[in-house]
Amino acid sequence: MEPEGIALRMTAYPRENSGELADFERIMSQCERRVLRVALRLLNNPQDAQDAAQEVFLRLYKHFGNLDETRGYEPWLYRVTVNVCRDISRGRRRSVGLAEVPDPVAPQPDAYHDAERAQQREIVRRGLGCLGEKERAALVLRDVEGLSTREVAGILGSSENTVRSQISTARLKLRDFTGRLLRRR
Amino acid sequence: MSCSKFETDIALYAGGDLPAGRIARIEWHLAECADCRVLAEELRAGQAVLGELRDEPLEDAMVAQVRRRVIAELGRAGFSRRGALAPLLALAAALLLATVLMWPRHSAKPTAVAHVETPHVTPVAPAARTNIVPVRHRAARQRRRAPAAQPGPPLLVQFVTDDPNIVVYWLINQKPQGD
Repeated sequence: MEPEGIALRMTAYPRENSGELADFERIMSQCERRVLRVALRLLNNPQDAQDAAQEVFLRLYKHFGNLDETRGYEPWLYRVTVNVCRDISRGRRRSVGLAEVPDPVAPQPDAYHDAERAQQREIVRRGLGCLGEKERAALVLRDVEGLSTREVAGILGSSENTVRSQISTARLKLRDFTGRLLRRR
Repeated sequence: MSCSKFETDIALYAGGDLPAGRIARIEWHLAECADCRVLAEELRAGQAVLGELRDEPLEDAMVAQVRRRVIAELGRAGFSRRGALAPLLALAAALLLATVLMWPRHSAKPTAVAHVETPHVTPVAPAARTNIVPVRHRAARQRRRAPAAQPGPPLLVQFVTDDPNIVVYWLINQKPQGD
């Protein structure tokens, strides 16, 4: 659902080509949730994710006329999102440790299933924060976004073998993280 | 038997990322190793949870805030691709101005403020050739020599570009008059 009452207005921000601005607005509407979601998974912090998404779209605006529309904007947006998140992450250099993750709270029996799934999601979310930067990016793009290994390799500028290695390592680390946490219960 | 050498491939197998040539070996191992079957199941369960993260709804307010901030940034003066050209435009303007200033000066005295805009050149028909006899007036010579070289007022050149945001001012100290 799009936020109401908010739209870029050509009159407010004149460009050389007003049609371009309309295209930019359209692409932003289509991709803003995806960009924000990836940023949120990579940074695990809503404020940082918003900062990242803002930067991504400002870069999109700046380079809009130079992008090859026939190749689609998604790979470019994913790549820039990963890069921006990496910069932000390096700026704050804060990883979430196991000790910071709160102990799971036993859910009420009537909503047991939903609560348990929500709890698992929270554990996995935190677990992503314990992964290395490249492993996290590869895993988020592959397992959260559902992109193919080849697409992930293209976005990250790596070979498919490298991406497979990162994905494999990340899955095993995440499994260890969740296993340790669940054993604490 | 140590299964650690299979873990990497099992992690790929669980997600459907294992190259075809290595699948048979892993399936053969899984068929005979209960621990690795558990590992594979746990990995699949983890992937299912990761997939659920994609479907988690984002707060509309959060999305709207990003959009507001983008709009606000775009609204700021100078954030545009035209803004990115500003340094080049300024450089071009400065070069043009330098060219104008270094052009051989004519006898006409410069005015205090000269607006350098698009130069307009009005063609003038050549006048009939006349013999000009130089006449030297003594008083004029004295007037030229009398006051000890006084520097003229500084010359302010305002260079107006197509971009209303870029105006170049050039302040020039004139040589003393009367030399």
